[in-house]
Amino acid sequence: MSKMNVLKSVLLSAALSLGLTGGLSAADYPEKPLTLVIPLGAGGSHDLNARVFTSVIPQYIKQAMIVQLSPGASGQKGTNEVAKADADGYTLLFSHNYIDQLQQHVESLPYDPLKDFVTVARINYAPIAIVVRGDSPYKTADDLFKAAKADPGKVRMAHSGNWGALFVPAAQLMQANDLNFNLVPYKGGGPAMQALLSGDADMTMGFPSTLSSLLASGDVRVLATAGDERIYPDVPSFSELGVGGDVGFMHRVVLAPKDIPQDRLDMLRDAFAKLNDDKTYKRLMSRLGENIDYMSGDDYEKLRADQAEAYKTLVNKITGG
Amino acid sequence: MIEAFFTGLGMAMRVDTFIMVSIGLFSGMLIGALPGFTTLMAMAILLPVSFFLEPIVGIPFLLGIYKGGIFGGSIPAILVSMPGTGAAIATTFDGYKLTQKGQSRKALDMALFSSIFGDTSSDIFTLLMIFPIALIVMQFGPPELAAILFLSLVIIAATAGRNPLKGLLMMAIGLWFSMIGTDPIGGVERFTFGIFELKSGIPLLPMLIGVFALPEIVSVFGDRSSHLRGAAKVLGERLKLAEFKQSFRTICRSTMIGTGIGVIPGLGQVVAAMMGYTAARNASPTPEKFGKGELEGVAAAEAANNAVNGPTMVPLLTLGIPGDNVTAILLGAFIAQGLRPGPELFESQGSVVFAILIVMVLANILFLAIGYLSIPFFARIVTIKSSLLIPMVIMFAVAGSYVFRSDVFDILMLAFFGILGVIARAARFDVMPLVMGFILGEPLEYAFGQTMAMADGNFLTFALTERHGMLAILIATPLIGYWLWRRMNKASKPSPVDQLS
Repeated sequence: MSKMNVLKSVLLSAALSLGLTGGLSAADYPEKPLTLVIPLGAGGSHDLNARVFTSVIPQYIKQAMIVQLSPGASGQKGTNEVAKADADGYTLLFSHNYIDQLQQHVESLPYDPLKDFVTVARINYAPIAIVVRGDSPYKTADDLFKAAKADPGKVRMAHSGNWGALFVPAAQLMQANDLNFNLVPYKGGGPAMQALLSGDADMTMGFPSTLSSLLASGDVRVLATAGDERIYPDVPSFSELGVGGDVGFMHRVVLAPKDIPQDRLDMLRDAFAKLNDDKTYKRLMSRLGENIDYMSGDDYEKLRADQAEAYKTLVNKITGG
Repeated sequence: MIEAFFTGLGMAMRVDTFIMVSIGLFSGMLIGALPGFTTLMAMAILLPVSFFLEPIVGIPFLLGIYKGGIFGGSIPAILVSMPGTGAAIATTFDGYKLTQKGQSRKALDMALFSSIFGDTSSDIFTLLMIFPIALIVMQFGPPELAAILFLSLVIIAATAGRNPLKGLLMMAIGLWFSMIGTDPIGGVERFTFGIFELKSGIPLLPMLIGVFALPEIVSVFGDRSSHLRGAAKVLGERLKLAEFKQSFRTICRSTMIGTGIGVIPGLGQVVAAMMGYTAARNASPTPEKFGKGELEGVAAAEAANNAVNGPTMVPLLTLGIPGDNVTAILLGAFIAQGLRPGPELFESQGSVVFAILIVMVLANILFLAIGYLSIPFFARIVTIKSSLLIPMVIMFAVAGSYVFRSDVFDILMLAFFGILGVIARAARFDVMPLVMGFILGEPLEYAFGQTMAMADGNFLTFALTERHGMLAILIATPLIGYWLWRRMNKASKPSPVDQLS
């Protein structure tokens, strides 16, 4: 008997040690808390979204998911940490499409987004809106575009940093309409909005979820929103202005190192899919004013490939003059 | 509005609110006292707790962490010369010298009382003046900020010490350090020598611990009479009322400076503490005592950095715009409760906003009690045997540098700045201008870049037609700098002793 026991435990431990790399892993994974790296600072929308889903997801993966903020070098620091981490499914990245797919065309990166990462899930997305002050002379997007065209550099646009979530849609609009805004950077969307309100800037961009209070008080007006469909009944969408497609959307995505074992990836994808039916998750997200437009990892992978191409064209046009 | 205020007052009077504030204050103090763990980190980690509490309980809980954390940062600054945050730098100048003299308890008490005085006054000021402050905030854009940051550097350089050239040199090195990494506007890599870790710039915490704490540790091995060796292993007495009264003018001055700086978006606690300290030394009849264990120096720095807190809440509450990371987390706590701060919230739920502001003021009473009772516990650190204390301090220095970004590279940075600190001390160079140059360099460069972008290639026209405030500050800067430098020189002539020891 005892010999049998010894043999069993030896076999078992051998199987376990093999299991770390082989196919037996699904049953044991995850056996320790997962780390979710956010390549952005504290208090931003990624931080908030992550605080919500990491407090709910332990029910589905039976382990804690710990948020680690790793801002720096426009998101490259945190992204590189995950790219270099073991692809064992214990280190994940919570990023967005501009860091993920645009940066590679602007700078040389120590990683290759498409080769080094695979999508676990898209959590949600946020459409951008063109915003002006309540007393602005620009009543429509057309007024704004005409003014910028007539006198390039006259219209000051406050954005949240080069090649960031407000800069890229502005660049896309400039490219599509052949005009120029005077792009002034600020440290985040909050300070950019403050610049608009104080009169330092003539326009900025913002996510509708963050605008409600200022809209209700009449301090700001929205001139257009991203996408095909209108968000506000009397405000045109980007498509109506002739800028269609995946323009002005920030996709919040969970990525994993590409070499993650398939069964672990499936398990994680499954857990994120289940979040969608979770009542606490839905309640907390709606309080944040965020949508729950989950997209499966496979579907988002197709979108990613398209983004890589579209951003390449955009960057070449903007920087090429 | 008056009605909303009194409804708010009623809402604020809840036992569970004050219990959660107390828990927040104590945990904030503990976390703030651990080098490497910042107040910001503590708030981000504990934010989800507030999701599951009522707004009037959860948000005060976070405010408690914030207040406690800022004071907590001054504890290691005073006891082992290890500023946990930039805000505590000015506290190390006199706080640690007091510990060496065996008066650590007095220094901690002074830090607590002046922090609370500064905090309470600025909170009450904010509560009463919230709308005028909101209007003033709007007057400051990047051009004004750039001019004020430049003025701050000039003030620091002019008052840095007896040898302004040494101070200027150190500041220039600090400014250069701030440029290492990715250019904040253009995104171009500078001075990184191809090292990826340097791309996100030099981390602040390893620099602070390196230049301020490591030279103290090294001096232990060279100096047998050093404090850490056991010369001053006494707690000393608590602060006397007379001593507090003596510093009261300084505390009031620093509170005003801190509140004023809090109104200007983008300056913050580091600048407030430095300016409060500089002003106190400048006004003192015995400026030569500063930096050698002057209680007033601790009071000046601590009152000023806490007085920043109140006004920084204003853009958040009136416009829904967070001015810094701490208020960004608070914004998260608000919106997770379904309350979106902004002009509309004041109209529809003004009482909730007032209730939170009132708790902010009342929390200071709890802060006083909790702080006063826990200081003896913290102060005991200096009585630990030096054979244990020195390894402990080294461990905290290394762990603190690492934990901040969880990056092994930062330990190398710690070693680099430790060596730099030791060399600077041996050569009698003050490291303070270097650190301030480093801290203020990045925002100055950023604000300058923004100003240039706004001017769109036509700076002179821009300044003359649109930005008279910036122009006025720029013209006043050399005059203020010269006046301070003259005063410093006059004051320091009678005593021939070198200021660095």
